[in-house]
Amino acid sequence: MALIESKENEIIILTVNGNLDAEGTQAMEEKVLALLEAGEKCLLFDFSELDYINSSGLRILVLAYQRLKKSSGRVAICGVKDYIQEVFEVSGYDKIFPLFRDREGAVSGM
Amino acid sequence: MEQGMTKYVTSFRMTNKMNCFRRFQPEVEQFGLTHGLPPKAVFHLTLCLDELVTNIIDYGYADFDEHPIDVTISLDGDCVTIRIEDDAEPFNLLEAPDPELEVPLEDRLRPIGGMGIHLVKRMMDQIEYARENGRNILLLKKRICNECFPEGEKPA
Repeated sequence: MALIESKENEIIILTVNGNLDAEGTQAMEEKVLALLEAGEKCLLFDFSELDYINSSGLRILVLAYQRLKKSSGRVAICGVKDYIQEVFEVSGYDKIFPLFRDREGAVSGM
Repeated sequence: MEQGMTKYVTSFRMTNKMNCFRRFQPEVEQFGLTHGLPPKAVFHLTLCLDELVTNIIDYGYADFDEHPIDVTISLDGDCVTIRIEDDAEPFNLLEAPDPELEVPLEDRLRPIGGMGIHLVKRMMDQIEYARENGRNILLLKKRICNECFPEGEKPA
């Protein structure tokens, strides 16, 4: 798993490359907590290169959502592959997180 | 093996002290490749194994010893069966409470409680649980034909 961080219009974009297995999820959790700690208010997860996620990975997204909701922040996701989109639908999280087709749409729509 | 039936079987043993994902993920991948399973089905099987094995390791043991977790994957016609056998504390996922999907996220008592189990129940077609000789035996069945044309995803 590789985690690439960038910033566009006050939006932190985390591009996750590869598998969010237990190890990858832990790395992402540390990164997300550090960003929240630093006071970032807008997180966009770019999952266009994400091949795998499980419920622990979803939990990190929920954690970011819950923390940022208190401070009027935002969390969005873009570029999910269709079989990963299904995980969002089955978990009901497609109704909680704005899911954008691509990064450009997310950055302008968030 | 059953008489006169074409059945493909892969078995392997893991332990709670291993990085199990690294062990089973290539096994499932290879099983899928060998038998021409759709990538989406391979993902479902991997995810279900991941959620269940993680549950066993995180919540199943009252001691700090090493414990075996035995997995068998078999293909019989269009049906894949995953069998997981462990000596962890009794856990029947069929009796596990569902997550509070209807409650708004910020009001849920357990934000992600039971989500892994929920994913497993939704992605598998049939689940059987037995407790035998101090072991949990879980049988998960999935029909592969369901995967060819997933719901709501008709070809253009």
